[in-house]
Amino acid sequence: MALQDLLQDTGEWLRGTGPESDIVISSRVRLARNVQNFHFITKMEADERAACEEKIRKQILAVAIVPETRYVELLQTEPLDRKLLVERHLISKEHEDGRHARGLAVGVGENLAIMVNEEDHIRLQALQSGYQLRPTWALADQVDTKLEQGLDYAFSSQLGYLTACPTNVGTGMRVSVMLHLPALVLTRHIEKVFQAVSKINLAVRGLYGEGTEASGHFYQISNQVTLGKTEEEILANVENVIPTIVSYERRAREDLMKKDRARLEDRVWKAYGLLKYARVITSEESMMLLSSVRMGVHLGILPGLNLRTVNDLFIHSQPAHLQRLSETVMEPNERDIRRATFIRSKLAEA
Amino acid sequence: MKCQNPNCKREATVHLTEIKSGVRHEMHLCETCAGEKGLPGKPHFTISEILAGVAGQQAGQKSKKGKEPECPGCGITLGQFQSSGRFGCPQCYVSFRDDILPLVEKIHDASQHVGKVPQRVSLEVSLQKELRLLQLELKRTVKREDYEKAAALRDKIRKVEDQIKASETQAAEKAPRARKTSEKKGGAS
Repeated sequence: MALQDLLQDTGEWLRGTGPESDIVISSRVRLARNVQNFHFITKMEADERAACEEKIRKQILAVAIVPETRYVELLQTEPLDRKLLVERHLISKEHEDGRHARGLAVGVGENLAIMVNEEDHIRLQALQSGYQLRPTWALADQVDTKLEQGLDYAFSSQLGYLTACPTNVGTGMRVSVMLHLPALVLTRHIEKVFQAVSKINLAVRGLYGEGTEASGHFYQISNQVTLGKTEEEILANVENVIPTIVSYERRAREDLMKKDRARLEDRVWKAYGLLKYARVITSEESMMLLSSVRMGVHLGILPGLNLRTVNDLFIHSQPAHLQRLSETVMEPNERDIRRATFIRSKLAEA
Repeated sequence: MKCQNPNCKREATVHLTEIKSGVRHEMHLCETCAGEKGLPGKPHFTISEILAGVAGQQAGQKSKKGKEPECPGCGITLGQFQSSGRFGCPQCYVSFRDDILPLVEKIHDASQHVGKVPQRVSLEVSLQKELRLLQLELKRTVKREDYEKAAALRDKIRKVEDQIKASETQAAEKAPRARKTSEKKGGAS
């Protein structure tokens, strides 16, 4: 697959459309599956890993999971391209760093991606723009059923789908909703949200999943329990909390607009000004500034700018994307200069 | 990296970068200290805590007695699972069943899967169901002394039993076995 294609566009899930898209970036459903006649990854020698990868790859390509499925064998990709796939949320950091036979299948639009030989043999993810968990689950479910026609999954009638780590056993399902919550951070109400969420056994994570920081005021809410509940119940559990958080964030934004409008507008315009004119900018700084700009677009403070442009900047201004776009490997310092130039040019076009 | 809280000696697992007025602040805390500060990233349990508690106790006891039992599927011991948090093969769930079930219950607050079932498995389940129904009918037929019907039922039952056996052998043949390399290691010591 020409990874260069990925640079021309961003995934469909970044369109900035879909329900509640002012606050909900994306809805994701991940399923963990293992194939019965193989060891789990940690106990696999190179030849078994290769055989497992091949078996799954063949099945993925045979059932034509989504139109124009592309398959990347990660052993044959450059480190920079693997970083790019992480920035795109198509593979995990763990999958990026591996040294054994492993792969990624991705459909056009990036709504569906399958990691092969990650922690589990199969990590299937469906991803859609905005708040739409049901269609996202339907897609994951449908692809899972197609895959299973040619693969015997490791399954126990008591414990369900058997996974390398017992935290995923049962449904193997992780439902995550990515939220943009700048106003709750500004009004210092975000901690209350975390506390409420952890009380009902849901987890809060940063932008790139487990163990990552919440840069740019992006947070992922996801289920922890995978056993003893049906897929429907797991979805319903997450659905119970998301509308409330969305309404809190919306209310916090309205409050800021009512009580502190000048300061809020100032924050948005300053962020926009910095992005538009800065000459050197780090990725953390650009994330925070873009976060303010994104909120400004939704509140009508920046009428000329559309969400797609802002979402594109979030992805394309990250290190691997920047380096691929300019076709050079750069030191962090150089990257910060290049990033500022790139953002300036994009905002001038918009 | 250790937790930056001066009174704490745990590993830092929550890393937070905050930018206030353009100045970058980094925080490295353990999950407990992060939780006290109300920061995200703290699950209601940590897998290592649970592993150390549940599986650790069992693993320790067995190693004192002598050789720790290994999973016949992959050669992993409970102690190895405890340190990595990952199983070696699907069979580990059967090999360490008594130690794993309490662990699974602690994580999920449940011990029975109620979600999706692969089609292959649902076929086995429906065959078992069919078998039970046929056996019941056979009993009734014999009671009625309808031997012709009973003979036909017996044939049907045999067919279903064969189907179940076939699907079971297929599954057993596919179960992974421990690698020879790990067996050699055991023999050399």
